[in-house]
This record gives sequence, C-alpha cells and structure tokens, in this order.
Amino acid sequence: MKRIEIFNFKSPNRAPLKVEGFLFGEESKGPSVAIVGAMSGDHINQLYVASRLVEYLRQKEEEGKISGKILVIPAINSYALNMGETFWPLDKTDINMMFPGYAQGETTQRIAAKLFEALQGFNYGIILEGRRDQGMCLPYVKLIQSDYEDIDSARDLGMRFIHFRPYSPIETVMLQYNWQLWGTKALSVVFGKNGSIDPVSSEEVHGALVRFMVKRQILDTAVFEGFVSNIIEPESIMLLKASRAGIFDSLVSCGTTVSKGDTLGRITDALSGEKLEKIIAPIDGVLTCQYAHPLIFQNSIAFRIASVEPKKSITKSK
Amino acid sequence: MGVIEEVFSIDLPVGEQFRIQRCRYTPTGGETSKRISIVSGIHGDELEGQYVCFLLGEWLRAHADKIKATIDIYPAINSLGLDSITRSVPFYNVDLNRIFPGSKNDFLPAQIADGVVSAMRGSEIAIDIHSSNVFLREIPQVRIAKSQAKMLVPLANKLNIDFVWVHDAVTVLESTFAHAMNTLGTKTLVVEMGVGMRLGKAYGHQLLEGILNLMACEGFLDIEPLDVRMPIQSHVGEVAYLNASCPGLFVPAIEHCQMIEKGSIVGAIVDPLSGQTLDEVIAPIGGILFTLRAYPIVYEGSLVGRIFGEKV
Ligand SMILES: [Zn+2]
Repeated sequence: MKRIEIFNFKSPNRAPLKVEGFLFGEESKGPSVAIVGAMSGDHINQLYVASRLVEYLRQKEEEGKISGKILVIPAINSYALNMGETFWPLDKTDINMMFPGYAQGETTQRIAAKLFEALQGFNYGIILEGRRDQGMCLPYVKLIQSDYEDIDSARDLGMRFIHFRPYSPIETVMLQYNWQLWGTKALSVVFGKNGSIDPVSSEEVHGALVRFMVKRQILDTAVFEGFVSNIIEPESIMLLKASRAGIFDSLVSCGTTVSKGDTLGRITDALSGEKLEKIIAPIDGVLTCQYAHPLIFQNSIAFRIASVEPKKSITKSK
Repeated sequence: MGVIEEVFSIDLPVGEQFRIQRCRYTPTGGETSKRISIVSGIHGDELEGQYVCFLLGEWLRAHADKIKATIDIYPAINSLGLDSITRSVPFYNVDLNRIFPGSKNDFLPAQIADGVVSAMRGSEIAIDIHSSNVFLREIPQVRIAKSQAKMLVPLANKLNIDFVWVHDAVTVLESTFAHAMNTLGTKTLVVEMGVGMRLGKAYGHQLLEGILNLMACEGFLDIEPLDVRMPIQSHVGEVAYLNASCPGLFVPAIEHCQMIEKGSIVGAIVDPLSGQTLDEVIAPIGGILFTLRAYPIVYEGSLVGRIFGEKV
C-alpha cells in the first residue's frame, strides 16, 4: 500500500486541505479501478465504506491477492466533514457539480480539476455517493446513459438494482458523466442516509465492491455470488407521496417486499396529534427508498416502490 | 391598486405554509392575456430585486391609469431563504435555480420550481432580478445565452443597464428559471446587479427606469419611453477573469465599476498573520471593471474581478 497525496490546497487561515489516496498493486499486473469517497461533508457513510475498504485491501495486499491496480480516495471535502457542512465551506458550492474541473477557474473548479486529473486512465471508476435529498434507500447502482456507460461491469457488483436512466442537465457537471466521457467505465453506488452510518448498507456495499474487483480480475479472493441485478428505468418506480405535512412514522425498512394494501407509514398532525394519513402500498413490489426525516413536507415523496411488473417494457433508448 | 394573490402554497410540517405571493396590477378594464412577470428572490440572499419590486409597486400605485396590460410582481420566490439569509432552499440545501422546470412528483425544491413555472407560464416577458451573491459586486447587467441573443438583446437594451453579456450556452444552465421560461416562449431576461445581503439604492432606481421604459416600449404602460443608457455589448470585446493566485485577504485598491488600464493594480492579497503582501492582482487587459470581490477572504481560484475590454 502506498499512501499518496492527491493534492494539497492552502487555506487563508486553516491548515491546508490534504486529499490523500491509497494505492494498491500495479498497473502492469491487470486492470485498474479508482474508488472515490466523500465529496460532501455529509457523506459519512461513504467515508466509512472507503476507509474500511482501505484496511481490507491492505491485508489482501500482504497476502499477495491484488492482481491489478486500485486507488481509493476516502475523502475529498474533509474541510466540510470537519465542520458539519455539506458543501465547500466558504462558497457553499458542491465539488460534484464542478467536473471536469477548470485549473484556471474558481476554487472548487480547481479542486475538481486536480481530482479529475488523478482519476484519469483507470479502466473502472466507482463513485460512492449519498442521496441528494432527505431519503434513505436500499443501496443501488446509478448508471447514467452518456453513450459511454458500461452496463456489464455494473452488473458485476451484484447489487439488487441498477437504476439506468438518461442524464439530467446538472449531471453533465458531475463526476460520473465526465469520467465516462474521458474513457473510464464509471458508475455510482448510492446508499445510506446522509450524515450517518448504516451498518447493513455498508456491509452490502463493501461486499459489492470486493465482488466487483474479483469479477474484474483486480483482486484474487473467494466471494459469494451477488444478485442478478434488476435493471430499473424511471418508469418502473412508483412514487408514493405524503398528501399531508406533519410527523412521519415509517413502519417498514428499505428492501422490504410489500404487497398491495400494506400500510407503509403514517402521518400525524405535528401540533394536535390528529391522525392525518395512512400511506398504503398500491401495488406489489420492493420498497427501494423512503423519506428519512421525522418531519415531512406536504407532497414529499414518502416511499418509492420498484414494481415487480414494470408498466413499460424495458428497452435502452439511444 | 394591485391585488395580492397566493399562487403556490404547500404545508410545512409544523403549522405553517410555504407560499409564493404575487401582486397583480391590471388596467381599469380588467385582466388582459398580455402580461409581464417581474421576479426576485430565487436566491434567498439576494435583496436588490426586492427593492426594485417595491419601487415598481410604488410607481404603479401612483400611476394606475397608465397600466395597459397585466403586470405581476413576485418579490419573494424562495421566501424561506429570504427570511433567514439562506441562498438555497432551506432544509434541502438545493439551489432553486438549478432545478427548473421542476416537477410535481419530486422533492420540495422541484415542486416550488414547478409552482413558479405554472404561475408565470403565458407571460410575454419575465425579468428575473439577481444580485450576484455575497462574494461579488456587479454593475447592472443582463446575461443572455448565445442561442437566445437575437431575441433577447434588443429587449435587454431597453433596461437601462450598463452591460449586456452574451455567453456560450452550457448544458447545466438548462436547469435555470430563465431557460425554462424561454423554452415555454416567455422572453426572460436575467438581471445581475449589486451584491448579496445588501441593497444599493442607486441601482434600484436605475433598473426601475429601465423596467418602466421596457414596459412603455412593449405596450404594458401608456407612457412615453424614457431616455435610457445604451449598455456595452459583450460581443465587441472580451471578458477577462481575475482569480486569486493564493489564499489570503483581498484588499481592493480601486472603486467598483470604473475604467481601468492594462497593468494597473486592482488590489492586493495579504497575509494577516505574517504581515506580508502575498500577491498583487493586476489588470490583464484594459476596460471596465464590472465585477469586483466584496467578500475579502479568498482561496486560490476565488474570483476577485472581471474586466470587459477590447479583444487582445
Ligand atoms: Zn441569484
């Protein structure tokens, strides 16, 4: 294992921001993968999974099991992690909205540029991502259709669901899209609840990362088979919204198989305690996501269910 | 007198509604399908537009007989943010101007965006007033994507602003209010002026005159067009960006919005700890300094100014 400095960025008054990477194996031996952890200060679960992976790989390297090259960068935005911020603490910009970066540009564009440079030339790229809302979810693979995406390698994670969809305008400045365009088979694994660590999800993602590296001949060890991933396009997800605002109680956990008619959650009036709404599953399926804050806004998405019978047949549009 | 209406309301968890209100002014004969929307507060830390909304409302109350078509004023889109100095949508931490056109089937910020679009859809013109952010001070300017220049530049020239900046289209800006409205056929101008969290009275009055002029020219007001300034056009020159070369405290050497010669000193980056001057920020071209840093703490890369000048 080599502990390397990816870049070092000075601050007016704080100690410099030091972004570190952990390098295992050698390029000449086999394929390469880079794994990127916390780009936001609330991606603590992502930090946890990445640092645990570093320790795991260190042992595997001692056992001589690394057959390719692996780079793990557990934290990019440690300035935000160290002060409970989400984004870059001064200007509140999101590093993962600055790709491919610009070396002559604004601060976070420069940080993105330095990171992006260090991520060039890898065969595979895995971004450990948190959610962009107040939810929590069953860990899933997010693969956007840039025309350079690679679904076969995404399947090798053996995760239950691969969300496969066209990109939105804001995704053109995110890492996954740009990394794909620059020739790395990049994908994101989205999991956890921002600001916390979920042991079950962490275990599942750790297992998936190890499986991926084994299947892609980067790591030589025995693993259990994962899921045959279900490819989920946006139309096969049913959204269940809270028609009322108030205190939200969920009665289920992500990953539960639900049947039509099951009660999934309840909303009560935050002041009077009056029972306002029961949220009932309208179809059979698997609960993939749920709202994860005790106070809920009107019309918020309380649950997402992946339907066992997609409304439309799933075809890839090019 | 204008009629105050609530165009979007959604329950917050504890005994409150998030709401967007507008004040609608109509001719004595009643509402017309021809209408214009004046918008501010998409970013909760930008207040210059709120003052312009006040000035316009005050003018319309005093000149009700001059109104020829429907005029809607929306001073506070991100009302949660405005009342708490929060640029993004509080709780969700999402920039509202990166989520348009929004959706009824998504989280609160997207629903707000959808509510804004539904309320303003059908307007002939919209003017979206921003005041940069807390870091930068801007002279009154309109920013237009190249693809829209032909349609929007003539309109922008009526606004009594100092600068029209036509920039290259970037995919990420397809998620702005202006892009969403232009796509729906509402000619939408984005004004940037002043600095976040503050208001500059002079700029407010300058833009008021521009809005009155535009409304006179476009048939919303029965008044003579005003004598307004002709903005500098970005296509005749180039924009130079001045980014900090090192972290420190930026101390400007000159006033904002002035002509500056190539090679002159815009300011210094100093180190309070050692007492050393770390770098001098030098104008790479001559021209008008139309952006100047207002917030002194800088990292490497922080924007300290922008100069518009002749092509080198
Ligand atoms: Zn703004």
